[in-house]
Amino acid sequence: MTVLIVDDHPSFRASARTLLESEGYQVVGEAENGADAVKAAQELHPDLVLLDVQLPDIDGFKVAEQLRRLVDPPAVVLTSSRDRADYGPCINVCGACGFVPKADLSGAAIAALLVA
Amino acid sequence: MTPAWRPWLYFGPAALIAGGLAVALTATSDHEQHPGQTIALFLFVSSSFILAGLIGWTRRPWNRTGTLMVAVGFGVLIGVLGEANHPIPFTLGALFGSLFIAAFVHLLLAYPSGRLLSRRARILVGAGYTIAFLAPLAESMFAAREKCKPHACPDNLVLVSHDHAAHVVATTVWTAASVVLFAAVVMLLLGRWRETTPGLRRILRSVYLFGGLSIVLLAIGFVVTPFSGVGAIFVSVALIATFTTVPFIFLAGLLGTAIARGAGVGAIFSSVPERASPGEVQEGLRNALRDETAVVAYWYEEDEHYVDVEGNRLDLPEDTRRRVVTPFSGVGAIFVSIALIATFTTVPFIFLAGLLGTAIARGAGVGAIFSSVPERASPGEVQEGLRSALRDETAVVAYWYEEDEHYVDVEGNRLDLPEDTRRRVVTRLDYGDQPVAAIVHDAALLQEPELLEGVANAARIALERDKLLVEVRARAQRYRALLQAMPDLMFRISRDGRYISYNAPNERDLVNGEVVGRLLWDRLPTDLADRVLASGRAALGGDPGVIEYHLDFEDGTRRHYEGRFAASGDDEFLMIVREITERKQQQEELEASRQRIVAAGDAARRKLERNLHDGAQQRLVSLSLSLRLAQNQVAKSPVRAEELLEASREELMQALEELRELARGIHPAVLTDRGLEAALEALAGRAALPVEIDCIPDVELPPPVEAAAYYVVSEALANITKYAGASAVKVSIGQVDGYALVEVVDDGVGGADPGRGSGLSGLSDRVASLNGKLVIDSPPGAGTRIRAEIPLE
Repeated sequence: MTVLIVDDHPSFRASARTLLESEGYQVVGEAENGADAVKAAQELHPDLVLLDVQLPDIDGFKVAEQLRRLVDPPAVVLTSSRDRADYGPCINVCGACGFVPKADLSGAAIAALLVA
Repeated sequence: MTPAWRPWLYFGPAALIAGGLAVALTATSDHEQHPGQTIALFLFVSSSFILAGLIGWTRRPWNRTGTLMVAVGFGVLIGVLGEANHPIPFTLGALFGSLFIAAFVHLLLAYPSGRLLSRRARILVGAGYTIAFLAPLAESMFAAREKCKPHACPDNLVLVSHDHAAHVVATTVWTAASVVLFAAVVMLLLGRWRETTPGLRRILRSVYLFGGLSIVLLAIGFVVTPFSGVGAIFVSVALIATFTTVPFIFLAGLLGTAIARGAGVGAIFSSVPERASPGEVQEGLRNALRDETAVVAYWYEEDEHYVDVEGNRLDLPEDTRRRVVTPFSGVGAIFVSIALIATFTTVPFIFLAGLLGTAIARGAGVGAIFSSVPERASPGEVQEGLRSALRDETAVVAYWYEEDEHYVDVEGNRLDLPEDTRRRVVTRLDYGDQPVAAIVHDAALLQEPELLEGVANAARIALERDKLLVEVRARAQRYRALLQAMPDLMFRISRDGRYISYNAPNERDLVNGEVVGRLLWDRLPTDLADRVLASGRAALGGDPGVIEYHLDFEDGTRRHYEGRFAASGDDEFLMIVREITERKQQQEELEASRQRIVAAGDAARRKLERNLHDGAQQRLVSLSLSLRLAQNQVAKSPVRAEELLEASREELMQALEELRELARGIHPAVLTDRGLEAALEALAGRAALPVEIDCIPDVELPPPVEAAAYYVVSEALANITKYAGASAVKVSIGQVDGYALVEVVDDGVGGADPGRGSGLSGLSDRVASLNGKLVIDSPPGAGTRIRAEIPLE
């Protein structure tokens, strides 16, 4: 499964790439803000976008909505160092498959969301 | 019989006996051509003086004018001895027949008190008696040939010779002496007239006129008699006419108000006790009116009918020929009516009154006060009325002002009663023990005690009522003074919103100068006018309130005001306005400062959250991921797992460091633990450029001041690092006059703008919250000096 990682923190991108690749995911690209994320998704057609909620330009929810409107929309999993409860209903309405806290990130956790 | 009547007891019979003797002497005289006319003249002149004198003596026992008049009257009768046929009484008559002239001069100069008050007067009177004795003596000693008809005169016992030359010399000398004396008397009277007060002048006028005229005629008579028989007769007739008028003039002057007092208004006051009951009032009126059947009916307003003195309903009878009803519409009217009745009951005195001239007007003095004072008169009108009743234009009415225990004038101004002098005296009007009022008047009125007493008694009642009015006025004046002293704008506004008056210490507070008579809506915006009226009416209803409003003035300024309301009567209220622009500005400033502090707090928390999120939290997330990776690798590749654990440890160390940094930002622990100096040194140690710290050792500042000082330095150092391009910084902390002084000076580019970043204005708010101030002096190119002054209390 091809993955695009979107986060403004390089250290997290690096950690996430290592982690997901170690669990069999193929990381095809990284983006550090919302605009780059949409652009990269159009070019790379990843199966999955791991999307940080807090981005320097536009927030993850808006990016998720834009991604959903693409011709071949990827699955979107939101992530954040904050807790899911901090975001209330926003996660459900933006078209993402689900949310995984950064500290709990793992291939299995993502897979569970995709199945659901 | 009261002692006052004693003169009648002695001198009445004496006068009758003397009169009888005079008639007998004249009737039996053998050298009197016209006994009838002579005795008529003697009796008329002497009885005028004796009668008037006795009346005066009785009514004014302490005043010697009456006594002197009686003396003049008897003196005149001595002259009748000249009618005697026997030489001894004839000679005595010739020698003492002129003494009455000296007594008359005495009377004139002693008037009105009956006493000679000046040395000049005493000398003149002494000279008068001397001349009155010596002149006839000299004339008798050198008498001319006898002129008596039809028979010869009786023998002149003191005759020395009939030498004509000696007779002419003696007559000329003594005539001249008499004329000089009369001239001196007239001069003295004229001198007194000029010096006297208007009140006394009124009393003296008639007496001086007729008395003086008599003296002048006497002088003319003395000069003319030897030369012209016709002239002498003419002068004698004039003299007799004048001379006989004089006693009545004296009497009128002496008694003043006697007529009115005897019959009317004065009587009611002497008959009715002070604080009389209705029954006593009726008794007094009966006495005054001399009608024992008179009934007083009082108007009972509540039930609209009359009641008698017992309080029983009394329907007024129809007027009949025997009884009439005199309705009294007010206190004034009561006494006007009484004065009228009094005038009618004095008919027997009309003849006398005709002779007395102005006495009627004077007698009606008490009534005059009531006819001069309108009903419901103002205090000023009462004073006018009193002046006219007392005929003293300078009289002043003083009302007792109970609240402050002093007298006030009719305007309500304080009036201290003057000491009595020879020209002005004070008559106090008390009601029981309670002062009511006082009249300051011409001392001459003391010579008319009935007038004064009657007027005073009448006035007391009217003034008792007016006193209340004047008290109200005095109080009003005090309030007016209070209001004028107030620094506030004050408006009196009627219930319907019309300005009645105003007091504006500062005219600039008036939106426009036209106030009185205008409506609220003429001067104020409609909604404000409505609010003012609503608040004013609420105050009238017992609910005084406060409103705040602002006005925009023509010069473009907006000023804020606070209006307070209070009822001032049934139909008007006071609006007291104070400018609160400054307070309002301070309030707005404070409000803004609070908002900035809150905003700064919010911003600080947002920054903190962001820092936590971006820093320590990210590190911990990475750490978590690294640990999970390491966990995955432990079995597969222990070497790789060890590398991951090492990376995790470094990540953890960095996270700890970031947390520490963050905690310092929230509140520096060193400040709490080690004090300001240590905290500033730590700041200096972390700074990117050399910082010199000049701190007073062991300076003790309250914790909030210490924290503010720390942040001023911290923020200043951060700004300097970012913008100033400075090479060195000096920080000094001091304490002067109860203020902590914090100063940060750099040698950078200057031009710092407090409005630009939130850092400096945040500091300014922090310092202001402790009532301190932050001064930033940063001219371009010359470094920056930031100075905070924070009060320690």
